[in-house]
Amino acid sequence: MDSALKVIFSAVFVSTILRVSTPLILPALGGLIAELSGASNIALEGMMLTSACAGVLVSVYTHSEWLGLLAGISLAEVMALILGYFHLKLKADIILVGLALNILASGATIFVVYLLTGDKGSSTKLVSLEMPTITIPIIKDIPFLGEVLSGQNLITYLAFIATGLVWLFLYRTRLGIHIRAVGENPDAARSVGINVSAMRYLALMLSALLAALGGIHLSMGYVKFFQRDMTSGRGFIALAAVYLGAKHPVGTLIAALVFGAADALSIQLGNLNIPSQLVQMIPPVVTVVSLILYAIARKRRAAMLQRRFQKTSV
Amino acid sequence: MVDTPAITNSEARVHERMRIRKERVRGSLIDLVVTLGTIVIALVVGFIVTLAVGKQPIAAYTALLTGPLSQVNRLGNWLQDATTLILIGLSVSIAFQARQFNLGAEGSLLVGAMTAAVVALYVPLPPILGIIVPLLAAMAAGFLVALIPGWMKAYLNANEIVSTLMINAIIANLYQYLLINFLTPEGDNVRRSALLPATSAFPLLADIFNANLGRANLAIVVVLIVVIAVWILMRHTSFGYEIRMIGANEKFAQYGGINTKRVVMLAFAIGGAVAAIGGVHLAMGVHNRLILGISAGLGFEGIVVAMLARNNPLLVPITGLFYSYLRIGGDIMERTASVGAEIVQVIQAVIILLITAQFVIEYVRTRRNRRAAEAKL
Repeated sequence: MDSALKVIFSAVFVSTILRVSTPLILPALGGLIAELSGASNIALEGMMLTSACAGVLVSVYTHSEWLGLLAGISLAEVMALILGYFHLKLKADIILVGLALNILASGATIFVVYLLTGDKGSSTKLVSLEMPTITIPIIKDIPFLGEVLSGQNLITYLAFIATGLVWLFLYRTRLGIHIRAVGENPDAARSVGINVSAMRYLALMLSALLAALGGIHLSMGYVKFFQRDMTSGRGFIALAAVYLGAKHPVGTLIAALVFGAADALSIQLGNLNIPSQLVQMIPPVVTVVSLILYAIARKRRAAMLQRRFQKTSV
Repeated sequence: MVDTPAITNSEARVHERMRIRKERVRGSLIDLVVTLGTIVIALVVGFIVTLAVGKQPIAAYTALLTGPLSQVNRLGNWLQDATTLILIGLSVSIAFQARQFNLGAEGSLLVGAMTAAVVALYVPLPPILGIIVPLLAAMAAGFLVALIPGWMKAYLNANEIVSTLMINAIIANLYQYLLINFLTPEGDNVRRSALLPATSAFPLLADIFNANLGRANLAIVVVLIVVIAVWILMRHTSFGYEIRMIGANEKFAQYGGINTKRVVMLAFAIGGAVAAIGGVHLAMGVHNRLILGISAGLGFEGIVVAMLARNNPLLVPITGLFYSYLRIGGDIMERTASVGAEIVQVIQAVIILLITAQFVIEYVRTRRNRRAAEAKL
């Protein structure tokens, strides 16, 4: 127990939280934008997986991590367009289309990797390039803080910057406000001349961009290879973070960090003498329990407000 | 009007009934054509991908499409795989009818397999009961486990996709933990449980027909019973009616006096019980023990089976057999032509996409009908 506590309060642990939270924060922000526009993006998982795979393969064959990044983002955008076309144009159920895209991504990535490397499990035969890590001068020399804040992957910093940008976009720009209006009440938005379909396309595409960054971080930062189904449910945990974060960028960031902490804890405890299966149960258990607690709390608050309202109206 | 003879009245009624029946037959025929068209398009897409890959595409596709019938033991594999798939498809279709996206079949299946095996291993049972008792125990366990996401969705409005997937992850780890730490006999260096007693194994078709039918077994009888049971439940009980009402319009169902929360929760739970039977089949029919990775991702293949069947329980066996045929064909293709079996997943995704898009066709059709009706007036 003593060693467990020591692990938890170390700089390495906090730094690990930031690292493992990155591929949760980014897709969660993406899920948030889509959710606020009224189009749930269930395909976050598939978009991450596709971009993770494309990033590795393109970076290996072009020797440029930036082209890898570009390829990953482009494919995720194509998926967003398919999702949007089927849902917005063909009026298909967005959840089923999202599930289909996830299945497609899982199958197609394994298929392609098998084709190129003859290996079904992972692309470890190909050594991927990675996104650069960044050392921040001055801060890097401060004890503890330096270890935590400096030397992280570029995309980890992007995740935190993105949270601020997403907030600015959603609450301080015309487009962002239109997107939220469309999600709040599409008919009212349409009546004042907002193009509902266009706003949702835009939201899905931004969502894909953020999910793609998360996917790229997984395969070109977190590790340096692609592995089959390597997202292992992160796209869905990200969705949970959106609900727990009360559909607000800052709340979403905090929820994603909590899930990241659960994940980091399971990694750290894995080094101790605890069965790995029990440790790996921590993130999903935390997710389910917090979903339940959040829902109960929300219900209580609603009931309380109602009671107060009734009292004052009498 | 009062003097209208009773005969004309009943004649008109018969006429009307025949018209409705004709319409219904026409509707199902259109459905059938559209579904077959979907499958053909998806297979063509798969073929184009195989062509693009360029490794003996014709041989690969021939293996995919004719492989399962080429040897008797492959036929057995097909039947055995379809047995599980049909159960999973039924499970998914129940929740889908209430427009709930229950992805918990994978977890329910593992819980079912685990429960059945533990009961079979530790409770001495005579023949026949040796199958029935673990089966019922597994169904109860599957029911209870699926009750959790059902409750979360119905009473707390928690997203069922997230909750079912997270619960699947918890169960998968718990399954591994229990198997490795408590069920693997000492001295066995493969992580698997002891063999189940013979009284708790479904008799193999291979022994009955004296042919090399692999591990296909008499669980297919259970499947037939479950298909009919689910059909009766969905089409001939008030509960099934309530589920379908909620699927058609939840608010309307609520105003109509249906306890929608209870029904939604039970739709999850019953789906869990059915999926658990799939686990029983794997534990007591296919492997006769618990092994690591016993589900092999089967839990998610139920979506396409249910969707192709349009959630009709009587069609699920047909679509289950069809999709399982592709799965087995995919494996054979991979072995003989080294084209990845994942092409089947690509075909599956295309099928789901096309079927979801067909809501458009239905929409157009109902509008055309309405317009025709208006024109008549």
